[in-house]
Amino acid sequence: MSISILETKNLTHVYSKGTTSQVDAIRDISLKIEKGELVGIIGHTGSGKSTLIQHFNGLLKGTSGTVLLDGKDIWEDKSKIRNVRFRVGICFQYPEYQLFEDTVYKDIAFGPTNMKLSENEIDRRVRSVISFVGLDESYLDKSPFDLSGGEKRRVAIAGVMAMEPDVLILDEPCAGLDPKGRDTVLSLISDYRKNTGSTVLVVSHSMEDISKIATKVLVMNESRLAYYDTVDAVFSHSEELKNMGLNIPVITSLFLKLKEKGYDVNTDVYTLERARDELLSLLKGGKSE
Amino acid sequence: MISDITIGQYYKGDSFVHKMDPRIKILITVLFLVMIFMCKNFLSLLLTGVIVAVSILASRVPFRMFLKSLKPIIPIVLFTAVINIFYIGGGKELLSLGFITVTSKGIFTAVFMAVRIVLLIMSSSILTYTTVPTMLTDAIEKLLSPLKIFHIQVHTLAMMMTLALRFIPTLIEEIERIMNAQKARGADFENGSLTERAKALVPVLIPLFVSAFRRAYELAFAMNCRCYTGGEGRTRMKQMKLKASDFIAFAVFIAGFIGVIMINKIFGVVI
Amino acid sequence: MKNFIEFDGVSFAYEENEEGLTAETVIENMNLKIGKGDFVAVLGHNGCGKSTLAKLCNAILVPQQGKVYIDGIDTADEDRLYDIRQRVGMVFQNPDNQIVATIVEDDVAFGPENLGVEPSEIRKRVDEALKNVGMYEFRSFEPHKLSGGQKQRVAIAGIIAMQPDCIVLDEPTAMLDPRGRREVMATVKRLNKEYGITVIFITHYMDEAVKADRVIVMDKGKIVLDGKPKEVFVNIDTLKKIGLDVPEATELTHLLIEKGVNLPEDILDIDELYSYIINLTEEKN
Repeated sequence: MSISILETKNLTHVYSKGTTSQVDAIRDISLKIEKGELVGIIGHTGSGKSTLIQHFNGLLKGTSGTVLLDGKDIWEDKSKIRNVRFRVGICFQYPEYQLFEDTVYKDIAFGPTNMKLSENEIDRRVRSVISFVGLDESYLDKSPFDLSGGEKRRVAIAGVMAMEPDVLILDEPCAGLDPKGRDTVLSLISDYRKNTGSTVLVVSHSMEDISKIATKVLVMNESRLAYYDTVDAVFSHSEELKNMGLNIPVITSLFLKLKEKGYDVNTDVYTLERARDELLSLLKGGKSE
Repeated sequence: MISDITIGQYYKGDSFVHKMDPRIKILITVLFLVMIFMCKNFLSLLLTGVIVAVSILASRVPFRMFLKSLKPIIPIVLFTAVINIFYIGGGKELLSLGFITVTSKGIFTAVFMAVRIVLLIMSSSILTYTTVPTMLTDAIEKLLSPLKIFHIQVHTLAMMMTLALRFIPTLIEEIERIMNAQKARGADFENGSLTERAKALVPVLIPLFVSAFRRAYELAFAMNCRCYTGGEGRTRMKQMKLKASDFIAFAVFIAGFIGVIMINKIFGVVI
Repeated sequence: MKNFIEFDGVSFAYEENEEGLTAETVIENMNLKIGKGDFVAVLGHNGCGKSTLAKLCNAILVPQQGKVYIDGIDTADEDRLYDIRQRVGMVFQNPDNQIVATIVEDDVAFGPENLGVEPSEIRKRVDEALKNVGMYEFRSFEPHKLSGGQKQRVAIAGIIAMQPDCIVLDEPTAMLDPRGRREVMATVKRLNKEYGITVIFITHYMDEAVKADRVIVMDKGKIVLDGKPKEVFVNIDTLKKIGLDVPEATELTHLLIEKGVNLPEDILDIDELYSYIINLTEEKN
């Protein structure tokens, strides 16, 4: 059994009537996220997924239930909650709108500086993270406001990565990017996990994106946890997902349809190459009614 | 929280007060503010209080909404009350603790002032709760239109007010979003000295201004595309028409106004 | 068919680097004709010039070389500026930054009010526009209480209340969730089909472009591909080279054709591919 890094027990966040808060409720969420997983979080707007992730780093506190990081309640010592935020880094939607410093260097250094790291360590982290996101060091002296949209996005993500959190959470990291920008960010995320062994959580609307990079999928529906399981296991519930207003990847849907029709095909197909081979073997050989 | 601010909030309804001409409502509210400060004894204050109470009932806006609008000003009310208690002399001495003396006149004044502030807030809340913000700015534009002869850009002013009202909730949401993002990077807004806390706001204010300017730029663009050229030649979907009931409401209010003056005359000035 | 929009040898470059636009975002010697009632998707990655194309369509920008004609009117003719803007409405990416009023119906009324339309007529147009985008029951809502897709539909209502002949939508779905994207697409489709409004839909989502009658693919200020979706999306290599997505069904079909499977190359839809595969397996038995 692997070790769980993040765990929630009966985590609930509800609002008393009459409050104007914009946050959606979550109810009775119990789950264990193992170290090193890349979890895709899906659910339509208002399902509670954004609320859930804000509990993981203590930006929100549940009205009941607990969040455990490495087995310890994150609210055990209220004054230490900032340390939790360094260990669980969240990169919010459209993170480029949080850039504020006059150079890229200073902006990436904002998190590490708040961690009170030594100057050498900060410098090391800034330089390693900027090259990791695929920008060369000449960018460090530029103003973040002069960069293109995709570059700003990468700098903002780098600012969270520079804290070297044990758990990195990204909320819709590809929102508003064009296909090229999206592919860059997706491979960045999956490389980050491979290189650092960190646990990564990605909130996304795109099933295609999730199926390409995730090892596990967490589905939120109407404030509750609907599924938390491997990609295959979750996508096998295609009907239920559809009822929740979610779609399964286009390619997977083809194989689910074929299977339904009685063909002997695998349904855990998410990439084109896999789909091609699967179809070729279907067309060549064995078909069973 | 910031999102609890109720300024400019509209409470949907179709009561008599909601249907009143916004121009008359603004006039009455302005006169009412004058009236509150003309009250010189408890009887006249009672009369203004009754007028507010009747208006609240007529507006059919739940009373808790008015309590909510009072919440942010509780400190101000308490502060003025305390100041008045301690600094207003005269009347019977009730309590003496070293250099502090509390007199009956002090308590009287404190209560009087507190009631005034509460009435002030409640009466302006009736206006904002029962009037759609755009109608409010339209009415202000109409009421101020005589100022055009002094070359004051009344329409521009009203449009600026509308846009401000429109973007307040958007910007409040934005502030919360940016604060969360910076908190996630370890920003600390709650602890530290005053200068440290002021410094901690820089990472919030800069992105906020950048975004506000971007929004303003895009909005100007969008307004241009929708053929906006200023007030010239513009028509309005919602026309304001004075109805008989508006005149009646105004007359009733004026009667109350005269009542306050009479009560002051007859029963004398207490404050 | 009569051309509603005509680009005749249009070139455009930003002289100054205003708001981060670089000198690369240009339109180069573009010729383009769009007929009345067409539904045209313009596909391209960020910075390919597609937003510039949109702004040239309603005289926000005027070309340095060549001419843009809208319904026969030259966009360089400053006297006709508002004739053009009334004919060609624009919807932008961020729904928040184009809603002016604090109540939905007041916002929809903004355009007609600017045009000096009679109050009773504005009322009629506003109600009709809101019904057309399916937002009538939200007419007295405050915009910030709506979802992104709903806000964007209000923005569209604000444009159609001006009774334009054409709507240009500049990445209207980029900031929306899947449900919002579907709502906006369905609304625009209906306006095109039922009212014959010419639609120019700028996007980088190929699954939206597939639904258009005609797809124009832009790269570096030029038109690279132009035709029906089926004609455009068979060019997988060209599309991939400029960093765009191809419908997965099309790509899978091509991978299968490479391996000798007998399939038509212009399959766009996964259900279409499904029925071909069923046929192939049944043929075999």
